[in-house]
Amino acid sequence: MSPSDAVLRDPGTPRITIDRPADYLHAEHTLRSWFFTTDHKRIALLYLASITGFFVLGAVAAGLIRLSLLVPNGQIFTNDTYNKLFTMHGVIMIWFFLIPSIPATFGNFLIPLMIGAKDLAFPKLNLLSWYIFMGGSLFAVVVLIVGGVDTGWTFYAPFSTTYSNTYVIPALLGVIVVGFSSILTGLNFVVTIHKMRCPGMTWFRMPIFVWTHYAVSLIFLLGTPVITMALILLVMERAFHIGVFDPRLGGDPVLFEHLFWFYSHPAVYIMVLPGMGVITELVAAFSQKRVFGYKFVAYASIGLASITFLVWGHHMFVNGQSQLASTVFSFLSFAVAVPSAVKVYNWTATIHKGAIRLDTPMLYAMGYIGLFVLGGLTGLFLATLAVDAHLHDTYFVVAHFHYIMVGGTMLAFLGGLHYWWPKFTGRMYPEAWGRVGAFLIFIGFNVTFFPQFILGYLGMPRRYHEYPPEFQLLNVLSSAGSTILAVGYLFPMVYLIWSLWFGKRAPANPWQAKGLEWTTTSPPPPHNFLRTPVVDYEPYDYAIKAREVG
Amino acid sequence: MADAAGSVAEPVGLELAEQFSSKDQQREAATLGMWAWLLTELLLFAGLFLCALVLRILYPASVTLATTHLKFWIGATNTAVLICSSFTMSGAIVTSRLGFRRLMLGCMLATAGLGSIFLLLKGFEYYQDYNEHMMPFLNMPYLLEKDTSSRLFVDVYYVTTGLHGLHLITGVSILLWLTWQASQPRFLEFHQNRIEVYGLYWHFIDLIWIIVFPVLYVLNR
Amino acid sequence: MTGPGNHTDYPLLLWPAAASHAATHVDYLISAFTAVTLLLTVPIFIAITYFALVYRAGRKVERGHTSDRNVKIEMSWMLIPFFLTLGFFAWGAQIFDTAKHPPGNAMTIQGIGRQWMWKFEHPGGQAEINDLHVPTGQAIVINMISQDVIHSLYLPAFRVQMETLPGRYTQVWFQADRPGTYRMYCSEYCGTDHSVMNGQIYVMTPGDYEHWLNSAGSSISLAGGGKRLFASYGCTGCHGAASTVRAPSLAGLFGRPVPLASGGTLVTDKNYVRDKILNPDHNLIAGYKQVMPSFNGVIPEDEMIQLMAYIETMQEVQP
Repeated sequence: MSPSDAVLRDPGTPRITIDRPADYLHAEHTLRSWFFTTDHKRIALLYLASITGFFVLGAVAAGLIRLSLLVPNGQIFTNDTYNKLFTMHGVIMIWFFLIPSIPATFGNFLIPLMIGAKDLAFPKLNLLSWYIFMGGSLFAVVVLIVGGVDTGWTFYAPFSTTYSNTYVIPALLGVIVVGFSSILTGLNFVVTIHKMRCPGMTWFRMPIFVWTHYAVSLIFLLGTPVITMALILLVMERAFHIGVFDPRLGGDPVLFEHLFWFYSHPAVYIMVLPGMGVITELVAAFSQKRVFGYKFVAYASIGLASITFLVWGHHMFVNGQSQLASTVFSFLSFAVAVPSAVKVYNWTATIHKGAIRLDTPMLYAMGYIGLFVLGGLTGLFLATLAVDAHLHDTYFVVAHFHYIMVGGTMLAFLGGLHYWWPKFTGRMYPEAWGRVGAFLIFIGFNVTFFPQFILGYLGMPRRYHEYPPEFQLLNVLSSAGSTILAVGYLFPMVYLIWSLWFGKRAPANPWQAKGLEWTTTSPPPPHNFLRTPVVDYEPYDYAIKAREVG
Repeated sequence: MADAAGSVAEPVGLELAEQFSSKDQQREAATLGMWAWLLTELLLFAGLFLCALVLRILYPASVTLATTHLKFWIGATNTAVLICSSFTMSGAIVTSRLGFRRLMLGCMLATAGLGSIFLLLKGFEYYQDYNEHMMPFLNMPYLLEKDTSSRLFVDVYYVTTGLHGLHLITGVSILLWLTWQASQPRFLEFHQNRIEVYGLYWHFIDLIWIIVFPVLYVLNR
Repeated sequence: MTGPGNHTDYPLLLWPAAASHAATHVDYLISAFTAVTLLLTVPIFIAITYFALVYRAGRKVERGHTSDRNVKIEMSWMLIPFFLTLGFFAWGAQIFDTAKHPPGNAMTIQGIGRQWMWKFEHPGGQAEINDLHVPTGQAIVINMISQDVIHSLYLPAFRVQMETLPGRYTQVWFQADRPGTYRMYCSEYCGTDHSVMNGQIYVMTPGDYEHWLNSAGSSISLAGGGKRLFASYGCTGCHGAASTVRAPSLAGLFGRPVPLASGGTLVTDKNYVRDKILNPDHNLIAGYKQVMPSFNGVIPEDEMIQLMAYIETMQEVQP
C-alpha cells in the first residue's frame, strides 16, 4: 500500500490549520520572502507568473498578426510592423514561453516532490536561473516592443548580420542570456534526479514526468551551448564584421542554418517531452490505471532526446544540402516517429479498461493526444523529401508546428496546470468552467490552424504580410478561429485567479492519484515532506478491480 | 601557527545544506553539478574547434599562412604557465584536504598569479598582433588582405582565445574571491568542498587551452 | 484554375493547380500518405473516445484486466507504422532524386534574387523582372544566385522550391506540361518586402514562347554579353588564345577534372569557377603560379552570369 492511500482514508476531514506547520505559501508573506526565496516551489510560481506574462504578450502579437491577415493586401499594418510582430510572437513564444514553460514551472515544483527530496540540489542556483531568465527575457522583450526586430525568431544570416536595420544585437543578447538560465536549470535537474532521490526511489520507480524531464535536461545541457555559440558568432559578425556566415566576409550562410537547427530541432523536444510527461501523469491518474508499458515509455523519452540530435538537417532539404545528407536526415526523421508512436499507443492502451473521469485535465489530455498525433504525422509529411520540396516554408509548416507546440505543449501545460493547481495553491478550480474553457480552446485551436494546412498546401508562403486574394477565405476562417482560441485562453486565466481566493479548499489528494507529490499536504510544507518518504512500491500502483471501482 | 608546514592541521569538513540528507550526498551532488557544467562548456568550445578544423580542410594554404603569423612561443609559454597553475591548484586541493590552510592559501594565490601571467602574455600577444595588422575585424589594413580565407581562420582564433580568456578572467576573479573567503577562520571546517569543486573548473580551463594550443598554433605549422 | 488576374470572387480553394506531371506525382504521394495517416490515426481517435465513454468511472463494466505490459503488442505498434511510413520515405526520396537531376537536354534560365525582386535571363539574353515565361514540353533548369540575403524560389504549381543563396549557385528544375499562368513566390523570409517578392510564371506552348522571345527582344545573347565582359575585365590578357602569361586555358573547362596543388582533383562547375574569379587563392591548380587578382566586389552577379555563359560556350571552340 502506498502512503497516498493513507491520505485517501479520510478525504472528508475538514481542513485543520492549528496543529500543522504553515505551508510553503503561508510560511512567510513578505515580498522579500518571494524574491529571495530558495524554495523550489516558490521559484516555480515566480516562473509561472513571468511566463504567463510573456504568453500574454506573445498572444497579443499573434492576435495582431491574425488581424492583419484578414485582408490580403496588408492594409492594416505596414510591412515592417508586420515583420516585427511575427518576430516578437516567435521570439517570445519560443524562447521565453514554450522552452521554460513546463520544465521551469512544473518541473521545478514537482521533481523534488516526485522523488521525495526536500528541494533541488542547488536551490540558490535555481533562484539565480530565474534572475538570469528575467534579466535576459525582459531586456529582449523591451527591445522587441520598443525598437522591434524583423529577422524572425530564426535569425537567419546574412539577413540578421548584415541587412536588417533593426535592433538585432540586443535581442540576440537577451536570448543568449536566457540560454544560460536553461543550462543551469537543466544542470540542477540532472544532479537532483541523480543524487536526491529518497530511499527506495529507484530509477524505474520514478514517474514518467521525471524521466521526460531528465531527457529534457540532457538536451538543455548538450544543445544550448551550441546555439549560444552560434548566436555569439552572429553578434560578433554583426558588431565586428567577423566573417563567419556572410559570404561577403568569406563566411557561409548555410553554416548558421546547421548550427541553429542543431539546437533548435532538439529545442522542439524541449517543448514536447515535458508535455508528454505531463500527459502520462494525467492519463494514468484519470484512468486510475498503471501506465501501459512503463519501461517502454521511459526509454522512449531518452530515445527521443537522443535521436532528436540527429535530425536537424530536415530543416534544410531545399537549401543546397547534399542529396545524400538530405536522404539520411529524412530517414532519421522517420525514425523519430517510432518513440513518438510508442507514447501515443501506450496512452491509448492505458485508457483501455480504466475507470475514466472526464475532468478538465483529462479533457486536455485527450485533446493533446489527438492534436499531437496530427502534428506528428504532418511532421512525417514534411520529413518526406519530395513533399518538403513543396511544403517547406509554407503555412503547412506553420500549422504543423502549432499543432505540436500549441496543440501539444500548450494543452499539456494547461492540463497539468489544472491537475496540479490544488497542489500548487491549495484551492480547487471550478470544474464546469474548466470544461467549457477546454472545449473552447480545442475548437478555437482547430478552427485557427487546420485551415493553415490547406493554405500551405495551396502554396501560401509563411511570413507573408500580403498574400494573393484567392487565399483570403481560409485566412478569414483562421482569424475567426483565433478569436475563439483567445476567449478560450481567457477562461482559465480568469477562473484560476478567482479560485485563489474563492476556490474550494483542496484535500491532499483530490484526484486519488498515486505519486509522492500527493502524499504531502496541499499546498506542501516548506520542505515538502514532514518526514522523508520511503518508497517500497512500484510507480502508478493503481489497482483496478472491476468490482471495487465499478 | 607560526609557519605553514608546522601548523596544526585544521579540521576539514562540510556544512550540511538543508536540502541534503547526508554530507556524502552533498559532496557528490556538487561534483556532478560541476561536471555537468563543464560538459556544457566543452560543447560551447567544441563548435569553435570544429570551425577551425573545417577551415584547415577547406583552405589548408591560407590556414598555414595565418598560423605562421601566430606567436608560437608565447602560446607555448602560456601552455607551460597553465600546466604549472594546474599543479599549484592540485596542491591547493591536497593541502585543503589535509587542513593546511596557510599552504593552501599560498597555492591558491600562486594559481591566481600564474593565471594572471597567462592573461598578461595573452594581452601582449594581442598587442603584437595589433602592431602587425593581424586584426582583420578592425577598421584598419589587414596584413593578409590578399588571402581572404585566412581572415576566417584569424577570426576564429580571436573568438576562441577571447572566449578562453574570458573564462580565465572569470576563473581568476572567482579564485581571488575564494582565497579571501578561505582566509576567514573555520573556512575549511565548513566549506572545504568549494576548493575541490573549483579545482575542477580550473583544470577544465587548463584543458581547453591544451586543446586550443595545438588546434590553432601547432597543426599546419 | 483561378487565374491571378481574376479579381471578381474567389471560391474556397482546396487543391492547388498542378502544371507538370511531376507535380501530379507529388499529389499522388501526398494523397496516399494522407490515406495511410488516416488509417493510423482514426483508430486511435475512435478508441480513445470509445474507451472514455465505456469505461467512465462509476459505470459497471468488466475491467478485470490484462497485464500492463506486453512486449509483442508494443513492438508491433512501434514497428508496423514505422515500416508502413518507410515506404513513403522511399517514394519521396525517389521523386526527390529525380528533382535533383535535370535531364541533359534541359534549357537553363539564369535567376538572380535580390531584396525584393527576381530577375531572370533567358539564354538569348531576354531579361525579365518578377515574371518568368517558359515553354511546355521542355525541361527547364533555373540556375540561381542571390545578391544579398537568402531567398527561395518557390513554384507551387510544380511543387518545387529551392533556396537562393548568396555566394553560391543552386538549381531547381521542372518540366511544364499545362499552359497557364501560375504563381511564383519567395518563400524564405528576406526582409521588409518579402511578401511582395513574387510574380507569375507563364507557361506557354513552344510556339507562343518563340513568339514571346522575339517580341521581348534582346540586342545581345547572354554569352555574347559575356564575351564583351571577358574582354573588358581584362580576362583575355591571360586566358586569351594569344596571351603570353601562362594561365590555364578555359576552353572546355566545365565538367573537366582539374588537379589541385594540394593534391586531389576537383570537377569544375559554376560554383568553382565563380569562386576562382572572386577568390583566386582558393583551390590552387597544380602546375600554375597564382598571379590572378581577385574580382571580389568588382563583378556584379548579373555580369557574372553572362561571363559564366560565355565561359561555357568556350567549350565548343576547343579544337
